[in-house]
Amino acid sequence: MYAIIDCDNCYVSCERVFRPDLNGKPVCVLSNNDGCVVARSNEAKALGIKAGLPYYQLKERFPNGEITVFSSNYELYGDITDRVMSLVRKAVPAFYRYSIDEGFCDLSGMENSNLKQWGEDISAFIWKATRMPVSIGIAPTKTLAKMASHYAKHYKGYNHCCLIGTDEQRIKALQGYDIEEVWGVGRRYATRLKTMGVKTAYDFACHANSWVHATLNNVVAMNTWKELNAIDCIPMDNLSKKKSICISRSFPGMVTDIDALRTSIANFAARCAEKLRRQQSVAQIVNIFIDTNHFREDLPQYWNMAEERLLTPTNSTQQIVQTATRCMERIFRQGYHYKRAGVIVMGICPDNGIQTNFIDYDAERHEKMKRLDKVLDKINREYGSETIVLGSQQYSKPGSKGKADVFKDSIKHDFRSPCYTTRWSDIPEAT
Amino acid sequence: MAVAKMNKYMEEKKPIDGAEYISLEDAKRLKLPFFEGLAAGFPSPAADYEHERLDLNEKFVHHPEASYFVRVCGESMIGAGIFDGDICLVDRQEEISDGNIVVAFVNGGLTVKTLDTSTRNQNYLRLMPANPEFKPIIIDANDQFIIQGRVTSIHRDTRKY
Repeated sequence: MYAIIDCDNCYVSCERVFRPDLNGKPVCVLSNNDGCVVARSNEAKALGIKAGLPYYQLKERFPNGEITVFSSNYELYGDITDRVMSLVRKAVPAFYRYSIDEGFCDLSGMENSNLKQWGEDISAFIWKATRMPVSIGIAPTKTLAKMASHYAKHYKGYNHCCLIGTDEQRIKALQGYDIEEVWGVGRRYATRLKTMGVKTAYDFACHANSWVHATLNNVVAMNTWKELNAIDCIPMDNLSKKKSICISRSFPGMVTDIDALRTSIANFAARCAEKLRRQQSVAQIVNIFIDTNHFREDLPQYWNMAEERLLTPTNSTQQIVQTATRCMERIFRQGYHYKRAGVIVMGICPDNGIQTNFIDYDAERHEKMKRLDKVLDKINREYGSETIVLGSQQYSKPGSKGKADVFKDSIKHDFRSPCYTTRWSDIPEAT
Repeated sequence: MAVAKMNKYMEEKKPIDGAEYISLEDAKRLKLPFFEGLAAGFPSPAADYEHERLDLNEKFVHHPEASYFVRVCGESMIGAGIFDGDICLVDRQEEISDGNIVVAFVNGGLTVKTLDTSTRNQNYLRLMPANPEFKPIIIDANDQFIIQGRVTSIHRDTRKY
């Protein structure tokens, strides 16, 4: 059996950990730059606030502060969720964190215990210890567990834990579940399946193996079909690592200057490299895009992307930043007002089996870059992110003071909460 | 040969610009060959007594996932040895009972006090200061009151005295 543990309205719940007065009240968390709503409390959802609602519209609809709004504070969310995941890890035979707010547990050997009770207990324990509400789904496969956690989250009667233990329970769960919501299906496939009369997870699971094979002919769909039929087939280690990493931002103003754009691209690329190293992966493809503001119809529009395939996959900050800025210089056109840019790294694989290209590979240089990155990561971990950066990450206008000047205004976070648990300067005060 | 290689390895591992450069894998790699290789024939007499150095976290943080820090503001608890500027370690996982020093969220703010439940039958609780100049805080059903954890230790940098 597998369990998935999922933090309810994760970012909102993290904000409430040190603000218990906000329990039961509408709360929203905004995206980077305070652009739009990315997380909503149940109370905010009940008011009809949709995910992705631009902040200025939220302000128009609720001008009197009826809704508590936070800028995203990933430092806080990272620490609170680490605590949750750490508690889960200690309680189960094997655990794989899947994302910031959810993780899979392998419950092999626990089948004979009362799993429903176990789930309710661990949810209550996590709430007591961390003040994070979590939903737990338990089932014979990961796809079914994901479905169970959805039920646990949306129906109070489950007391935070839904178990799909018997075949009867499985069928009932499948019948009430929209095919679009099934893990691994996605909207595009769902639309296609619905035109073929497959409306629920049950409709899909009831089709013969051969039908799925003939109509969809793809490994993910086959696996999903098997998993819905209680055949365990998605291995744990396929889950944990991302296949591509994207860092992109809208600029608060508009950028016209190539140096300013290069600086942003360099920073996004550096973040990508850092993320790759954190998950012990390397990437082979570096892709960048730049875009103007489509809402400004009075201005000329331009969109372009460029990518480069590296001979040897890498996670070196230096190399990824260099490649990304090279790509950007290729497609930059003078005279446009850029609103958005991003870096995507793809072709991700584990960094232990790097396929080296003999022409390109310079072992000594490779070792040196690896050491540099390690020091970089260590310093930035200890003294706060971006304590030390590459030169290209901190271009500034003549007469201004380095990175701080360009980047002070580049990310807006007017409603950021304190980093209560990760900075001495921010710990709560009590009288 | 092996020693020369080892020396070179050690040299490379020197701190770079003041930042200590040892990752987890490095520490693992370093440990064994260092003792066995370099001191072949002369095992360190201390080797058998190796022990982890004392760690304050181990002594004071009983539930790391459930613990956090709170800075004390004011003099209300000086009688209990808690002074302005002290840092309290607060543990949400500890069971709370009468007489414990707790951190509680009361009507919009945090406070450190001793919990007194002796008046429970009269439908109120008291949060007791440890300073005669302060009055107890009376908590009844109309108050917003949430216990945020038990204070399990108090930390102070005595260099300021």
